[in-house]
Amino acid sequence: MSLNMDRAASAFTFKGGMLPMTVMELTSADPEQIRAQLAGKVSQSPAFFQHTPVVLSVERLDEPHLALERICAVCRAHKLLPVAVRGGTDPVKQSAWALGLGWFPPQEARPRAVEEVPLADAPSPEVEATASPTVGRIYRGTVRSGQQISAPEGDLVVVGAVNPGAEVLAAGSVHVYGPLRGRALGGIHGDRQAGIFCQELHAELLSLAGNYKRLEDIDPRLLSQPVQVQLRDDQLNISSLG
Amino acid sequence: MAKIIVVTSGKGGVGKTTSAAAIATGLALRGNKTVVIDFDVGLRNLDLIMGCERRVVYDLINVIQGEAGLNQALIRDKRTENLHILPASQTRDKEALTADGVEKVLEALSQEYDFIVCDSPAGIEHGAQLAMYFADEAIVVTNPEVSSVRDSDRILGLLASKTRRAERSEPPVKEHLLITRYDPNRVTSGDMLTLDDVREILAINLVGLIPESEAVLRASNQGVPVVHDMDSDAGQAYADTVSRLLGEDVPLRFHEFQKKGLLSRMFGGGRR
Repeated sequence: MSLNMDRAASAFTFKGGMLPMTVMELTSADPEQIRAQLAGKVSQSPAFFQHTPVVLSVERLDEPHLALERICAVCRAHKLLPVAVRGGTDPVKQSAWALGLGWFPPQEARPRAVEEVPLADAPSPEVEATASPTVGRIYRGTVRSGQQISAPEGDLVVVGAVNPGAEVLAAGSVHVYGPLRGRALGGIHGDRQAGIFCQELHAELLSLAGNYKRLEDIDPRLLSQPVQVQLRDDQLNISSLG
Repeated sequence: MAKIIVVTSGKGGVGKTTSAAAIATGLALRGNKTVVIDFDVGLRNLDLIMGCERRVVYDLINVIQGEAGLNQALIRDKRTENLHILPASQTRDKEALTADGVEKVLEALSQEYDFIVCDSPAGIEHGAQLAMYFADEAIVVTNPEVSSVRDSDRILGLLASKTRRAERSEPPVKEHLLITRYDPNRVTSGDMLTLDDVREILAINLVGLIPESEAVLRASNQGVPVVHDMDSDAGQAYADTVSRLLGEDVPLRFHEFQKKGLLSRMFGGGRR
């Protein structure tokens, strides 16, 4: 029986996946106000707006009905692709489905702190009030020897390998979805909360807020492991994520 | 329009010129009109490897500076139809190589040829950057050892940022990995990086694997590109590489440890 099953050509397989996703937390339901703010953001960091998928979080809004279609249109006009809605009332859920978007239940069960880790130093109170926890920069591909990829604000996410002789820097944390073989520097402006995360540790150098460890100083048992690096009492603390 | 292929590596002595000569010859043997250009001004070698050093009159710099026509500088290969060599200057200053000049030469050659193979100098300076600047495809020659891999990685970074395709946001330069001087016995004994080690770090498509072979040294000294020696493993491996460049699906050879058979041990015949 099982042989027959195997032989049947399968068109797809379902796989669980954790993808980095930007959540756009709405504090206003007015499409015009959203439009005005997006236009400003696009001019600040055009690289971010490359048909970036976003989840519209409406948890903070108290309105039973939303002009969801218009909000989506505004997003698309600024090269953000809404893929799902999180939270909201039943009519909001229904209209999300009608628009072909997914719907996630509100996130109340999870601790708020996880969501509100300050990822970027907000330059002005106005931005601070509305900033969604966005990533400073996402780099896809291999960072090669001699290349330097930096996120002067916020976190740096590298989807790929960081090779020997390459350097990745961020004002916030550095996340490497791949082997980290080069140098990684987090908290370059002194953020002591920043961390370094990677799937495979071979780093030449790890540094957080000016404190560093060289490859030589790293416990060999941690090499090739998925790890997180955090600052504790001015010491880099490396722990396995496995 | 010709396809421009740069043969590059960062590190010196890994087999760029040997590979450029073999691949250009292989492309021509397959019926493609091909020209191979030496960009190594001041340290030219390609003419020796191609066995035409006695027929060099004008060179790339003469053409760029308008002292000779392109057809005067191109040397027709004696053995292979459809193949020409454009030598580098041995005496001129390498600053004489200008981007405008190179572009004009490549444009003129593009009208005539199917493939333009650019033999890059070592390093990442002016000459190497000019050799890669106009490329459509790049063959990154790498030896299975750490310094070569790191230099190739550096070159791959430059290919992604310092080429015309990158600057114009056109589709990127197509990158191919060519591993040379591969010795399966030394890989097995742990002296050399394995094929998988190299591929894992560089993460680009493997176009060929050339085994360490006496045939290569012999070919260089005789000035006959090693693809002409189809009895040799290196010659066959380069022929496979050319097939893959032309889009054919050829299985990888020469990457596995070969135990010497009884006969070859008795008669001492190693691989050629």
